Amino acid sequence: MPTVVLMDVSLSMTRPVSLDGSEEFQRKNLAVHGLNMLFEHMASNYRLEFTALMAFSSLWELLVPFNRDYNALQDALSNLEDYDKTCIESALHGVSNVVQQEWGSACPCQVVLVTDGSLGIGKGSLRHSLQNLKQRGDDKKFPLPFPFPTKMYIMCIANAEELQMTDAMENLEELLRLSGGDGQIFTVDGPLCMKTVQAMFGSLIDYAYSPFHAVLHCGNLSSDVQVFPRPEPVVMDEEVEPIPRTVNTDLEIVGFIEIADISSPPVISRHLVLPIAVNKDVDEVGTGTTDELEEEPSASQMAGKSPNFCVLLHGSLKVEGMVALVQLGPEWYGMLYSQADSKKKSNLMMSLFEPGSEPLPWLGKISHLGPISEAAENPYGEDDSKSPFPVQPQVKRSYAQNVTVWIKASGLQTDVQKILRNARKLPDKTQTFYKELNRLRKAALAFGFWELLKGVAELLERECTLLPDSAHPDAAFQLSHAAHQLKLASSGDSQYAAFEHNIQPMHTDFSS
Amino acid sequence: MKMFSVAHKTVFVVDHCPYMSESSRQQVECDVLTKSRAQGVIPLAPVSKSLWTCAVECSMEYCRILYDIYPKDKLVNYVVSDSEFHILNSWRRENQSTHELMAALAAVGPPNPREDPECCSILHGLVAAVELLCKITELQHEKRTALMDTAERVANRGRIICLTNAKSDTHVRMLEDCIQETILEQNKLAACSDRLMAIQQCELVLVHIYPQGEDTLVSDRLKKEISPLLTSEVHSVRAGRHLASKLNILVQQHFDLASTTITNIPMKEEQHANTSANYDVELLHHRDAHLEFFKSGDLHMAGTSTRENGLKETITLKWCTPRTNSIELHYCTGAYRISPTDVNSRPSSCLTNFLLNGRSVLLEQPRKSGSKVISHMLSSHGGEIFLHVLNSNRSTLEDPPSISEGCGGRVTDYRITDFGEFMRENRLTPVSESSHNPAGKLPVERAKAQLERHTRYWPMIISQTTIFNMQAVVPLANLIVKETLTEEDVLTCQKTIYNLVDMERKNDPLPISTVGSRGKGPKRDEQYRIMWNELETLVKTHAGATDRHQRVLECIVACRSKPPEEEERKKRGRKREEREDRSEKNVSKETEDKSWAESERLKGLLEKENPESEVIKDSPDSPEPLNKKPRLIAEEVQPAERAKGPVTLLSMWTNRITAANSRKHQEFFGRATSVNSKFELYQHLKEENGMDVHENGKASR
Repeated sequence: MPTVVLMDVSLSMTRPVSLDGSEEFQRKNLAVHGLNMLFEHMASNYRLEFTALMAFSSLWELLVPFNRDYNALQDALSNLEDYDKTCIESALHGVSNVVQQEWGSACPCQVVLVTDGSLGIGKGSLRHSLQNLKQRGDDKKFPLPFPFPTKMYIMCIANAEELQMTDAMENLEELLRLSGGDGQIFTVDGPLCMKTVQAMFGSLIDYAYSPFHAVLHCGNLSSDVQVFPRPEPVVMDEEVEPIPRTVNTDLEIVGFIEIADISSPPVISRHLVLPIAVNKDVDEVGTGTTDELEEEPSASQMAGKSPNFCVLLHGSLKVEGMVALVQLGPEWYGMLYSQADSKKKSNLMMSLFEPGSEPLPWLGKISHLGPISEAAENPYGEDDSKSPFPVQPQVKRSYAQNVTVWIKASGLQTDVQKILRNARKLPDKTQTFYKELNRLRKAALAFGFWELLKGVAELLERECTLLPDSAHPDAAFQLSHAAHQLKLASSGDSQYAAFEHNIQPMHTDFSS
Repeated sequence: MKMFSVAHKTVFVVDHCPYMSESSRQQVECDVLTKSRAQGVIPLAPVSKSLWTCAVECSMEYCRILYDIYPKDKLVNYVVSDSEFHILNSWRRENQSTHELMAALAAVGPPNPREDPECCSILHGLVAAVELLCKITELQHEKRTALMDTAERVANRGRIICLTNAKSDTHVRMLEDCIQETILEQNKLAACSDRLMAIQQCELVLVHIYPQGEDTLVSDRLKKEISPLLTSEVHSVRAGRHLASKLNILVQQHFDLASTTITNIPMKEEQHANTSANYDVELLHHRDAHLEFFKSGDLHMAGTSTRENGLKETITLKWCTPRTNSIELHYCTGAYRISPTDVNSRPSSCLTNFLLNGRSVLLEQPRKSGSKVISHMLSSHGGEIFLHVLNSNRSTLEDPPSISEGCGGRVTDYRITDFGEFMRENRLTPVSESSHNPAGKLPVERAKAQLERHTRYWPMIISQTTIFNMQAVVPLANLIVKETLTEEDVLTCQKTIYNLVDMERKNDPLPISTVGSRGKGPKRDEQYRIMWNELETLVKTHAGATDRHQRVLECIVACRSKPPEEEERKKRGRKREEREDRSEKNVSKETEDKSWAESERLKGLLEKENPESEVIKDSPDSPEPLNKKPRLIAEEVQPAERAKGPVTLLSMWTNRITAANSRKHQEFFGRATSVNSKFELYQHLKEENGMDVHENGKASR
């Protein structure tokens, strides 16, 4: 889930913060310090996250486009300049554009808005934007909610009391609500200083950027893994099940399925599954990272040499063209598979299905998938020539059965012509003739379209009179028999108009 | 859409009063004469549908689309109203099909024009509809049971679609009032019943049908709230084509559907088999399949076109001729069932049959910029066709570190093929709910249990294992993981074990990995010791399962050769108290090795050459054959290795190197049995003198 850091560089950010007995800081310095801490944390624990840095005042500027180069992001932070007033609305338009250009409108995105809680004055201020929210035309819509799913984190370089003195807090809360409500407002706890700002960014890291560690199990084989990006809680139906579902930290493989059988299933999210060394300290929150970076190679080299289940699993999934079905929680499943990128690098990936007992109709209920060893005979056949999938639905869909629809006149005409065509080829086409005749009869009875039955009966009688001399005598018998039966059906007499009843060909062969 | 939105329950109430038998005055020419036959034949007079026929066939089309796209849990109850109400089906899932409804409709037949219009009213049906909405559905019941104390989260909402011929706006208002009253009454009843639920929200959609060429007596009205419980809207539509398109729009609105037109479908013409013309087919599906277009606001860019009636939009996607090798895992963010709008037209059935035969079609989004973007895929699964939404944006997971760069990435001898075989054995298969014993474990739990059994001992790399590199062990290894063994299975396992004993007697080489090794590998005896240890480890993990599993273990214990050095150790153990210097060290080692030594003791019950091994296999406690002379040559086990247990990486490594070298030449007896490359000469002399020559592999001087 990419991150956009939206940094307020208006003049109010340069307000000094008085610190006891040390040099003076600006709020901007505190913000930069906090962001540096965030970037350091990401560089060591969340380094696959794509992050962009934008600065805004009355205008906005994309300082660093989306990438994973945290040095570049930190460099840009150290070169921030100061501009005029805060204008959040235009900055949010900027975020919307930048994100959609890069990731489209389906990819969820995190926005970290760093500001001091003075939200501008006059036109373009947040207060002004929110006040005239409802009186806008379609062309001047407020940028929230973004078209993409958003998590909005508002980092205030100010404490809650300060924000509550004005309407800043209210406005920020409204902003969060407009963004979809997913996110949080962080304020400084206590007096403004390095330590309290650090603590605030520390809670952001815990809230939004703590790596997701889990153990992948396959029976007794297991591996410690990091799942990236971390799986987010999912709400399926806010009415019936309002509590969000979260992915277990124990991921249990339940069995294996061929790629062709699982056949491009829909997924709610995709994640890399990265094996990690067990006793590596993971969450240092940006402290003393430099030392560790130096030690890391040897540690990772060691880890590289001891066998890991993920690598084995990945290799076999790739070779066999299979996926592993993995349980993520109660009635929630996903799949593990090998994913290769264009550069021939490949990786173990996990996709999450929609929570529920039957996420893929063609597999049936997942809880009712059992081991093949229990089946009377191998459902895949001795030579893997068969497959128990896909599971067939009990009732065929309309397009898979020969349904009768006469909404368009052409539908009705086609069906009548089919009968007449076969009528002219009697007795060769006796079976098809009666099949089509019965299909029409059934539909006409259901639709209460008795007039049609009479009409077709007349048509058949006419066909009978038009039969050439060379015609087989059977043809005449069958035509008049069929016409008679249709007429009986059109009378509504329950004996002849029963839906399940079929007109049988007249028995004309008396030799047997 | 919420699980229990108004879309969960739909009641169709169709007017069956005498005036519905009136003609719609839309005529259908069903006798299309071909030119050659036209002479002298009087064509049949065109037929025309009654209002009833129009109402029924359009409502059936509504249901057809609904059932195609929501085969489960969007339910329809069909009511016909004349002098009384007739309920044609129930909320039960098994009653939810167009076939079921058509059969019931055929039994009802068209309205009787001679019936007394005074006795007939749509009201009977509407009252029945409200009562039906109070009835609990299977899904409501299941969810209420599952949620237990939060059962109130299960809502009861529903929609009534009334197809009738109303007399006036006042008549419509009377109907609405009546429904409102009935809801209040029924809700009171429902409050004191377990099988009924009070209605929280009801949506009335009244469709007034009138014949072509007449003026309507009822005016259209948008949705309006009659009460907090009831909303109502009125559509006044001419019978025939207009009614059909109205209900088509309604089904889309009611069930969040959208339309996609597949364009450029190549189809062979019957007359010109060698050419193909391009056709378009319109499909309906859940509108989330267009989410990306809606959100990004480029609906128009994506080839939207508004129909001539100005009411419905469709998105055009272009057919891409499929490639043949399509076993590929696409990144798909949604899959939605489809229903063709014109199901029995030739282009529609051509497309659906093509897909039902197992082919997939990628669909391209027409873009102004000219770049080709594949955004969707049509594919069938088990007789159902789905529109898959493919991700066409940049991936946030691009350029990840390769798995070979991470943990375990440098290891090269993973048992990839063996694990592949393991995966095949642990494939899943659907177990029908009828054959599942509800008291027993769920199939998926049994699958997990099988994985657990199969992985109790499963070395991940080739150089960590001997037995799994041996063809001879396969029968046993395959059987021992089973939950239960038959007598025959036990026999097979025993045969496998005897076969191994036989191999050992013949001194057959073992496939101990020698990749990259230099120097000497372990001796043959040592190899067999490793192999037996490993086999025992494998079987031990299963021995607790059943008595038969236990018997396999006992067979191994009884059959495996007893390493002579064990004999030595025991002798030493007896003498230990007399010895001074190293006793402490030995004791600690002895405890470490206790379990191992115990098993070794059991193994030691039989000499490897003992041909009668089988005879005593069931009595592991029988006394040791003390008369056997210990063989000294096996005393080459190194101290480090001994301290750590039977198989350590170091020993594996050493074994590998030794094995590689030993293959190259016939080893000197002395070197072959040497310890730390030292060999005590004249051992027999000291032996006879009862002196302890070797101490943990170190020759005493």
